[in-house]
Amino acid sequence: MMNRYEMIYIVDTGLEEAARKELIEKVSALIANNGGEIEKVDETWGKRRLAYAIDYKTEGWYVLVTFKAPAELPRELERNLQINENVLRYLVVKLVEKRSSVKPRASRPAPLGAPAEIAAPVEEAAPAVEAAPAVEAPAEAAPAVEAAPAADAE
Amino acid sequence: MSEDRGERRPRPRGGRRPRRKVCTFCVDKIEFIDYKDINRLRRFTNERGKILPRRMSGNCAKHQRQLSEAIKRARAIALMPYTVD
Repeated sequence: MMNRYEMIYIVDTGLEEAARKELIEKVSALIANNGGEIEKVDETWGKRRLAYAIDYKTEGWYVLVTFKAPAELPRELERNLQINENVLRYLVVKLVEKRSSVKPRASRPAPLGAPAEIAAPVEEAAPAVEAAPAVEAPAEAAPAVEAAPAADAE
Repeated sequence: MSEDRGERRPRPRGGRRPRRKVCTFCVDKIEFIDYKDINRLRRFTNERGKILPRRMSGNCAKHQRQLSEAIKRARAIALMPYTVD
């Protein structure tokens, strides 16, 4: 029985690029060698500021992997990531199939100087206000499209 | 009908009734809240990084559960802070 999983892990930025590539390769190989099937290795986030310091480090290299694997693999995978001291954090999550309606993840490569977590207070009161325009926008767009053909008919 | 029996459910006097908030996730028809969608998640935490209660966010129970799970996952991999101060 193969499940779909998504794994995200943080590699120490103190590691040189070659070493990092090797590490990522090693993790991918581990999945492949244990009956897993890699779908995608995504490094678009790359170097990113951590929301809090881990081992006194304030940034990390984020790697996102989606893969198919038998149910036993995540445990083995986590055991290996735990041992590797260049992996600051990891998270393996089973993918839910009904995620279709989710907008694809923010794939912009997160600018380095983005301590947006700290700047949150400004947005804090916003949820209700921001929600409303989002609903109105499509409603306004639709009539405009309909109006155009009507004008042609006349 | 309920007008004649106004005294049964006394209206809050001298204050406007707060408008019932609608779950923004239901409005946006989101079935699954992704822990990587930090910008969205961040709107549901206060300036200390705590998850807003349902009475503040107006979320439905289903989405509030998903939301708290997503925020906790995001915290675990340092995408969101556990605390801010």
